[in-house]
Amino acid sequence: MSTVSEQPSAIRSYYEGLSEGVFRAITCKVCGGYTFPPTGCCETCGSWDVIPVELSGDATLLLASHNISPACHPRFEKIAPYVYGHIRLKEGPIVQAIILGVDPTPQALKALFECGPVPLKAETLQMDDLPVLAYRIVS
Amino acid sequence: MTGKLRERIAISGVGCSRFGDLLETPELKGTSIQELTARAVKEALDDAGLTGQDVDAVFAGNAMVHSSQVPGTYSQLSKWTGTQFKAGVHFEAQCSTTNVGAALAAMAVAAGVYDTVLVYGLETTRTKVKDFSPYEREPVSHQQTWLWTDMAVNQAYGVPQGYDIFSTYNGLVALGYCRKYGMSIEDFDRSMFELCKTRRLHGSMNPKANIQEKLEDRAKREGFSDPFDYWRSDEHNPFVAWPSRLLSLVTTADGASAMVITRADLAKGGKSPPVELKGFGISYSDLPWYGEDPTYWEFDRRAIDTAFEMAGIKPADIDYLHTHDCSHISGICTAEATGYLEPGEGLNAARDGRLRFDGDRPMSTHGGRHAFGHAWGASAGTDTYEAVLQMRGQAGPRQIKKQPEISVIHTHGYAMIGTVVVLGSI
Repeated sequence: MSTVSEQPSAIRSYYEGLSEGVFRAITCKVCGGYTFPPTGCCETCGSWDVIPVELSGDATLLLASHNISPACHPRFEKIAPYVYGHIRLKEGPIVQAIILGVDPTPQALKALFECGPVPLKAETLQMDDLPVLAYRIVS
Repeated sequence: MTGKLRERIAISGVGCSRFGDLLETPELKGTSIQELTARAVKEALDDAGLTGQDVDAVFAGNAMVHSSQVPGTYSQLSKWTGTQFKAGVHFEAQCSTTNVGAALAAMAVAAGVYDTVLVYGLETTRTKVKDFSPYEREPVSHQQTWLWTDMAVNQAYGVPQGYDIFSTYNGLVALGYCRKYGMSIEDFDRSMFELCKTRRLHGSMNPKANIQEKLEDRAKREGFSDPFDYWRSDEHNPFVAWPSRLLSLVTTADGASAMVITRADLAKGGKSPPVELKGFGISYSDLPWYGEDPTYWEFDRRAIDTAFEMAGIKPADIDYLHTHDCSHISGICTAEATGYLEPGEGLNAARDGRLRFDGDRPMSTHGGRHAFGHAWGASAGTDTYEAVLQMRGQAGPRQIKKQPEISVIHTHGYAMIGTVVVLGSI
């Protein structure tokens, strides 16, 4: 058995957080900006002086489209076609992610588009091999 | 950063293969990737009045090495292009590869390191090496193509969590455009139809295009008397990312392109007049490619401004424009960002036929990524090839009536490197 200790990884930590329903990011001590998902450096100003934070999971759906079946990636074959959204997080960052709670049909997507922005709540979508970020429409 | 070239730089030769499928397309079937590339290189060198031994360096571009399987491209292709013993490098900037190569070559020449550089790009997005055969190929599945292509996209968080090019690059941008400008989804759909008609018209006039059949002819062949009914048919043109349909997207292709970059004062003795490479701009971004407004892409803004500043041009100076149009709506947004089209008026211009070769705002006269087809690392060179032909008056039936004096070529290298090149008549 190896005695070499494993180095911390922002990527592993992010996905481990997702599996526990925690949404990990970093904030910058220089400019205050968020980087989500997390890296080791501020995406806004390039500073390395960053600290880990947990996001609220509250967000707003700005726009929603869908994808094709079969999916571009085998991981998502079982759920394709799925809805994919353009999202503004409560903390500020813009992200794109899978949207739950609406059908991937032109009729449903058009009705959603005509509604305008709607509130979302983050949750973890457990795929066969990986927990992934998703947002559910708050009804 | 001075943002200036210290020497005047010329493109003295251009070359481009037929785009299509190495297993099926006439003029391509049975061709090896080595011979495909050599065709484009020979055309460019002949055009410049040079041989491979006359250039100082070779910048060889190839993005998806999984299907081409020719890393170390400079040496593997050297005996097919006559360029043995030159300086060389294999590089990639995905779908901006060849035009980033032109910018790198321009910098090398302007710095006085080289006098003449050969840039080429090759790509096979429809076929791949079969088993271990040196000459047999087989089709690449749709999913495999995107798995390999998406390796250029955020592999830590984007692709693993369901990133999808069709919604990110098409559907969400389309919805952002409609919301921003108050356009109905029905009007958007009709405009996309008209834009596709224009691209397919251009492809039908280009013997090197992947698709050379007009949209109206295809509709008729499928039994539709009204081509818009064909457009709205779920069977023939499904939504791939609502409200964007399949025929508003890229078509994959195998292909190669090449160009010769040299000092303007040395660009003599070629078959055709050289064209000046007046400026370029490059800016990249990871996901997300846009903020709250999907029609505004900061890295494109920076690339456009840098290129225009270097070239000393204004939007009103542009006579011919190509913007990266893997996604037709994204291409329209970029055209508006250049100032060639008014903000919010791009789709109206498409509906009015203004973007046709015979319109007052000609764009993508080779057919664009949909009709000409897309061979990732080779495609930017085909956009430059078309611009050079137009500026020389060599574009045949799709020739713009008033030969362009200033051309702007924009490409998106996945994912994303916005690249803008400005060409001027000498």
